[in-house]
Order: sequence, then structure tokens, then C-alpha cells
Amino acid sequence: MKDIFLLAYRDIKERKARTGLTLLGIAVGIAAVIALMSVGYGFEQSVTGQLVEMADLIYVFPGKGFGSAHVELGSLDERDLKDVGGIGGVKEAAAGAMSMEEVEYRGEKTVVNILGTDPRDIGVIFGDMVKTEEGRDLRDNDHKTCLIGQGIANDYFDEEIRVNDRITIGGSKFRVVGVMEKQGGFNSDLDSTIYVTRRDAKGVLGNDDIAVIWARVRNIDEAEEIAAEIEERLDENHKLDDFTTAMTMGSAIEQLKTIFTLLQAVLVAIASISLIVASIGIMNTMLMSVMERTHEVGIMKAIGAKNGNVLSLFLLESGMVSMVGGVCGCVLGVFGANVISIGIRAAFGEEIAAIVRPEVLLGGILVAVIVGVLSGLYPARKASKMSPVEAVRYE
Amino acid sequence: MIRSEQLNKVYRMGKIEVPALRDVSLEIEEGEFLAIVGSSGSGKSTLLNMLGCLDKPTSGAVFLDGVNTASLSENELAGIRREKIGFIFQQFNLIHSLNALENVSLPLFFAGVSSDERLKRAAELLTKVGLRERMHHKPSELSGGQQQRVAIARALSNNPAIIIGDEPTGNVDSETGDAIMGILEGLNREGRTVIVVTHDLEIASHAPRVIRMKDGRLLEQ
Ligand SMILES: Nc1ncnc2c1ncn2[C@@H]1O[C@H](COP(=O)(O)OP(=O)(O)OP(=O)(O)O)[C@@H](O)[C@H]1O
Ligand SMILES: [Mg+2]
Repeated sequence: MKDIFLLAYRDIKERKARTGLTLLGIAVGIAAVIALMSVGYGFEQSVTGQLVEMADLIYVFPGKGFGSAHVELGSLDERDLKDVGGIGGVKEAAAGAMSMEEVEYRGEKTVVNILGTDPRDIGVIFGDMVKTEEGRDLRDNDHKTCLIGQGIANDYFDEEIRVNDRITIGGSKFRVVGVMEKQGGFNSDLDSTIYVTRRDAKGVLGNDDIAVIWARVRNIDEAEEIAAEIEERLDENHKLDDFTTAMTMGSAIEQLKTIFTLLQAVLVAIASISLIVASIGIMNTMLMSVMERTHEVGIMKAIGAKNGNVLSLFLLESGMVSMVGGVCGCVLGVFGANVISIGIRAAFGEEIAAIVRPEVLLGGILVAVIVGVLSGLYPARKASKMSPVEAVRYE
Repeated sequence: MIRSEQLNKVYRMGKIEVPALRDVSLEIEEGEFLAIVGSSGSGKSTLLNMLGCLDKPTSGAVFLDGVNTASLSENELAGIRREKIGFIFQQFNLIHSLNALENVSLPLFFAGVSSDERLKRAAELLTKVGLRERMHHKPSELSGGQQQRVAIARALSNNPAIIIGDEPTGNVDSETGDAIMGILEGLNREGRTVIVVTHDLEIASHAPRVIRMKDGRLLEQ
């Protein structure tokens, strides 16, 4: 066994340049797949990772989709909030008023999402994730003050908004008391939101409507049942079927994962095209190698090699080349994945660390070997079927 | 031992049929030393290929130890070539990427002999043909006569009963040719059947029995 490896190795060594190029073809194909998958996992992780911290959260909002139909159906109210808070298994519940309002800063106007919530509820809603970077948090007795997201502070207006600057929200003047930390990823919405107290929101919106209720559950395993109970209770409150949707973060994460899996599959399918090209390369190299070695194969057969011996020799050769190609592809792929993450950070400012899974690397090598052996099959069969006389006759 | 009956071989080249062997019936005893002579194109190599199980006849039969080889599968023929027959070619036909030792041990590899055993046997055989000092040389680093001796050692590796040489002296000078014939005579004395094709009558005179071919036919012996 060792010797047939040696024999195949000799043959490969004799054709360094060509083998090198074939190997490169495989390596690039495998690298493309591995890099894309690793970046994909990294992306998935950066999005769902943020969500996992909120896995015990249930979003309650009117209508079918978040922020969609509540205008027509009406909105949630204080009674709903109290009922949600009263359901067994719910640790705490918080309400948010939401609307898009015109905001003016130093003569510049734009429309921004306003979230009105009680200061103490911020913790309920966002947990530890959202922190104030500059200035201070909102306080219960604050009046006409606001917290702003990073995006609002830096990107929305020509001039940067700082703590203690004044902005006009829906016609009334507000003082900025703090700027939030940058969130990015799935939570990048939070970067472009202005936070006020519910009392101030009422003043700006002109009503007491609640757009969304957040509920944190004690036990994540019960989240689905509790969500169902919330829907039932609020539908009853409003005497409408399907008035409310209570969505657990758990199910949101599941949905996202499905989307990511699909996305991943599409990326890998595209990257696989390069593998197909590489396999044609192997087949070509092996066919040339078989043709050049007609004589050698004839000699082997004349001295007693069976068809199977010749077949396995050539298969081994293509298998070895593609395995080395696969290993190089892994190295190249990990490198490529990191280059892509650095590129993403440079271009979009998003922190997406590529995640290299060992099973992806092993799979990459395995795929390389399978591709190699499959594309070596036809040339190898051709070689094994050669007649010894024909092959030996001419030098 | 080896017997051919009404052996015919026709090569087809497109529409043209080239009869290379016509009704060749021949009997070769075990331990015989036979030379086949004849002009170029008379069918010597073709006959040798049939006798050596490298090729199958168009019609007729070759019996080797009582078995009709025309009825065997490719792999069975390969098995016979490996176990019973050692080939020596005019062009030496060594594998360039392998050194002398590896070339000689290759048939043993196909026979499934263990690596240690193979190298031991190959070294012995190379010593026997006088190439002890050249075992690790590649064919390109050996003279024609040395390459042919490597080829003889390779032919002997599976200890075959039959040695078949197609112009084994064709590519070497007459002195080396004599030396090679000397080795073949020695192998014949060991009891092996030796069949050699040549068009050099001087070389053929080493053999006790000489047969002539012309236009694919055997002339009177
Ligand atoms: N593969 C082949 N295809 C077509 N014709 C062939 C083939 N092999 C041999 N022949 C023809 O068969 C005839 C016998 O050829 P063969 O090689 O047996 O001659 P030979 O006696 O060995 O000649 P030489 O002394 O030149 O080697 C020749 O006419 C040759 O052209
Ligand atoms: Mg000939």
C-alpha cells in the first residue's frame, strides 16, 4: 500500500508545474466555499448572538407584522400592559409608544423614529445590551429630554449632535441628555432612534397609544405558551380575533436561522461553480497524464498489473492531488474569511468575525477528495482498459 | 507446455485487413530454448505476444500448461503474465521515474508481495545480473546493456517458468548482446523455457532450436 502511494507520488512529482496548477484550482474552489461559509456563520452569529441575549423577550404588537397594521386596527393600551404583566410566568412588562416624527437640528430637518418608554423600563426592553455612552440615562422626572442613538448623533445631520444640544421633535424643543452606544447588526435600528419618556411621547404624539409591549418571561421554555396566552387575552380585550401578535425572540431566532441557512446554501452553490471548474481541471490533467503514460501503463500491464492496479494507481494520484488541494484550500479559505471580515469592517463598520468550524474544514477536504476521485475516474478507467501490446509497441 | 493451434491474427486498420499470423501451429517443450527468426514484418512479435498472453488471437488457440488462454479474461491473462511469464523487450521498457531496484520489484508489488520481501528479492536479482552497484540508479543513468540487465532481473522477479524476449539484443552492441544471450542461456540451464525473437542469425545460433517465419507463416523447422 505504501508503495503505490510512492509510485503515485513519483508520477505527481514528475509533473510539478501542471500538478501545481491543478492543485491550485482545487484549493481556490475549496477556499471559496470555506471562506463564504465561515463568513456566513460569523454573520449569523453576530445577528443571532445579539438576539440570544433577548431570548426571554416576547414582543407584543397589534396586527400581523411588526409596526404594520396597528393604525387601522387601533393600538394597545394601559389595560393590555397591565394584563400582560399579570400573566403567570411573565417577569416584567414594559410599554413603548412609537412614531415617526419630524426632527429639526440647527435648521436641518429629517424624519426619525421616536420611542417613548419609561426610563426604568429601558432595562426590561433591552437588558444590558443598550448602554449610554455619553451623558446620562433618562429619568422619571425628566421633562423634554431625550437620549439619542449613535446614528442620530453622527450621521443624520450635517453637524454632530452632542450632549446638551437642543433638537426639535414634532414641534417641541428637547434637550439631549445622552448618546447611546453603537449597536450595529440586527440592532442597528436602535442606533437611529430617539428615546423619550412616555409622558413626553404623549405630548409629541398627542395620544396615549402603546405601539408595542415587551414582556420578559421567567422561563424561556414557557415563552411560546405565554405568548399564546398573551394573544388570547389581548384579543379578548379588543374583541377582535387576531388583533395581537405576540412573538417570542426564540421563534424570531429560529426564523432568522432558517433564512441564514438558505443564504448560506445559495452562497455555497455559487462557490461550488469554482469547484466544478476545478474538477474539469483535474480530469484534464489526469487525461493528459494517462496519455503521456500510455507506454508506462502498457509496461505495467505486460509485467502483470491487473486493470484494478492501474485504476487504483491513477485514482490515488488524483485523490492525492485533490486532497493536498483541499488542505491548501482550507488554509486559503480561513485566510480569505478573515480578509473578508476585515473588508466588511473597513467598508461597513460592522464587526463580523468569521467563524471557522472544524467540520467545515473536514468537509472541505472530504469534498476535495471526492471531487478528485470522481474526476479521476474516467481517465483512470481509460488507462486501465489500455491494451498492453498497443502500449508497449512504441517507445 | 506451450502449444498453438491454427493461430491466426488479423489486424484491422479501417477497411484494410492485415493478416499478421496465418495458421501457426507450434509446440514448445518445457525447458526448451527457442529462437524465432524472420524478416521484418513477418509476424515474429505478433506470435510472441500471443504466446506471452499479451494479446488474443483472431482465431485458433494457445494452450499454456493445458489451459486455452484465448478463453481467459483480461485479468486472468494479467495473472498468467505475472506468475508464469517474464518479458524482455528490445526497448527495455523500464519505468523512468523508478530506480533499478523499484523497477525490478514492481511485478512483485502487483503480485502482492510484502515490501521487505520485494526489495530483498529485487536486490538479489540485480546482484545476479551484475548490477549490485547500480541498484539505486534511474534507467536514464544506466547504459543500454545495463538497462537490459535490469529488465532481465525484472522479468525474473516472479520466478517465471517462461522467459520471452522480443529482440532483447536489438538495441545493444554485439558484445553486450552476447553477454545478454549468455544470461538467457544460464536461465535456460536453470530449467526455464526461453523464447527469443531476433533477426540476427549469430544471436539465434545460441539457441538449440530455431524456427523461421515468413509472411505470418512458420517455415519448415
Ligand atoms: N497493431 C497493429 N496494427 C496493425 N498492423 C499491425 C499491428 N502490429 C503488427 N502489425 C502488422 O503485422 C505484421 C507483423 O508485424 P510484427 O510486428 O509481428 O512483425 P515482426 O516480425 O515483429 O517485425 P520486426 O522484425 O520489424 O519487429 C506487420 O505487417 C505489421 O505491419
Ligand atoms: Mg517485432
